[in-house]
Amino acid sequence: MDSWLYYFPQLLSSGITIGAIYALVGLGFVTISRASQIINFAQGEFVMLGGVITFFLLNGVKLPYPFAALIAILIVILIGFMMHVLVIYPLRKASILILMMATLGASIFLSSTNGLIFGTLPKTLPPFSGEHPFRIGEIPILPQNLWVLLSTFILLIFLYLLSHRTLLGKAMEASSTDPLGADLLGISRNLMVFLAFGVSAGVGAIAGILITPLFFTNYSSGTLLGLKGFIAAVLGGWGKNSGAILGGFVLGIVESLSLVFIPSGYKDAVAFVILLLILSFRPKGILGSPYMDSRRW
Amino acid sequence: MVETKKNEFRKRDFFYLVPLWLISLMAPDPYLYHKKGFKKKDFFYLGVLVLAPLIWSDSHFHHLMVLAGIYATLALGLSLFMGYAGQISLGHAAFFGIGAYTTAILTTRYAIPTFLAFWASALSAAVIASLIGRSILKLKGYFLALATLGFGEIFLVIVRESTDFTGGVIGIFGIPWFSVMGFSFDTYLKQYYLTWGVLTGLFIFSKNLVRSKVGRSLLAVAASEDAASSVGINVPWIKLESFVLGAAFSGLAGSLFACVMSTANPEAFSLGFTVLIVMMVILGGMGNLYGPIAGAILLTWVMDILSKYQEYSLPIYGVILILLLVFFPDGIGTRLNVRLIYLIGYWAKKKKRDVGKL
Repeated sequence: MDSWLYYFPQLLSSGITIGAIYALVGLGFVTISRASQIINFAQGEFVMLGGVITFFLLNGVKLPYPFAALIAILIVILIGFMMHVLVIYPLRKASILILMMATLGASIFLSSTNGLIFGTLPKTLPPFSGEHPFRIGEIPILPQNLWVLLSTFILLIFLYLLSHRTLLGKAMEASSTDPLGADLLGISRNLMVFLAFGVSAGVGAIAGILITPLFFTNYSSGTLLGLKGFIAAVLGGWGKNSGAILGGFVLGIVESLSLVFIPSGYKDAVAFVILLLILSFRPKGILGSPYMDSRRW
Repeated sequence: MVETKKNEFRKRDFFYLVPLWLISLMAPDPYLYHKKGFKKKDFFYLGVLVLAPLIWSDSHFHHLMVLAGIYATLALGLSLFMGYAGQISLGHAAFFGIGAYTTAILTTRYAIPTFLAFWASALSAAVIASLIGRSILKLKGYFLALATLGFGEIFLVIVRESTDFTGGVIGIFGIPWFSVMGFSFDTYLKQYYLTWGVLTGLFIFSKNLVRSKVGRSLLAVAASEDAASSVGINVPWIKLESFVLGAAFSGLAGSLFACVMSTANPEAFSLGFTVLIVMMVILGGMGNLYGPIAGAILLTWVMDILSKYQEYSLPIYGVILILLLVFFPDGIGTRLNVRLIYLIGYWAKKKKRDVGKL
């Protein structure tokens, strides 16, 4: 059991980092769900696109790093807007099964087009600052891990302010919780969903740029990441920003620590086992969900 | 004379006319529930099925139709669960995989005849479905979809990682042809008759099921669970029943798939395959048993045509999926049928108006 204790802090720190990424992806899902009851299965592709487009701008066009990241985020936001206009808006009256399949189709299209344009090789970015890990006690920590945590925190505050302190956020929430009431108040629901897609695509792209220096980003890595982000959002409490953050960290840490007990190949199944457990015993998540009080799911 | 609604007849309707005419010749009418179960049209379809491979004796066509038959079996089971009971499942590829792997392991490791392995596949898929169904089927909507999807992913991970049992990523090779009493289905033509024979049997079973008390309860559950339970339908039990039935169909399809392709590897049962199967059910039209079969044939052909374009096939496939969903969200046949009924009504009214004018 000596090795167990030796690896524990390292696994914990990597779990916290990957948990922050899951939290960011989950925040993207929650942002859309706060404006309408749509779940966008192409959220993971936004993450992947953020990383890959930054890589292209940095190495192909030779832009400076911050500039490349900013333009990549803008491009992904544009893709999010286009996805709403071309896929979600024509299907705004369809059943959720149709919407789900359409976003899965968009996900297939985005990932395969990406593989076609930018190549199928895994890509990586240079870290934001410093490649050498520094030590806190015995634990080596990469500076990039701190960047991830800091950005997650800033984004959480930004999303909190957006949804609780601005009229736009209130309008978004109204169009989700009470569509008829929102219509009567003159809130354009389609516009709200449109904006929410932009915000969630932006959050996804930032997550992608943060994750690419740590893990390799491939054209097909988006789907699994998107699913795990969704699981994080469900685990913490569907429809809550804080729930997505908490669920992301819990999921990341549990998944990382599970490496101690089971072979590493089974790591991907851990998230889904957690999902099945939480859905059968407490479907509204750890913190509870605002959408599941009145209805039985 | 006052001109009333000017845009009753849209120019677009001219484009519908030719397919409408073709479909009205062949398509079963999903709205005529009160009619007898099997009609002349069914025998016409059966005749076409028996004769088609003999007239068009091209081995590529035979192979495609074998695949289409297998997918249609799977889509038929899924249609009972999604179209009739109104639930969502993104995990039926896993049951397909369970069927395929049961057959593969039983025939290659334990030398059990394929005919027995065929039934064992359905049984294993059904048993696993009944084990997980109890807790999963409490959920609704997105969460049901997510839970079934999670089950599918867990299945994939287990298959990939337990190398000595399932062969890992490489899979299992050398599964023998399907054989009954020493008669081996070793050519595409024989396999065609095998798969479509199995499909016909399952189709007759599901058609009778839909007209039985269970089938009516499925429709009631899809319409409203509260109303269904208030008239004494055991809602969880009915949902579980359709889930297990769908899984058993998938297991049979998977067993046939393993025998026909003679391999079983995990890449065949991924999320992309689930999307394909669910699209078959949606395009055929929910709550219609002929639909999934037509959808399966259509999409198998589309996939075959797309595979010629190599690396461009997946982007085109994604675009086709989205376009089909945007323009035919309730199935191709249903949408065209609605237009047909509208047009017939329009022409009838026009005749009456013309009479009134004179």
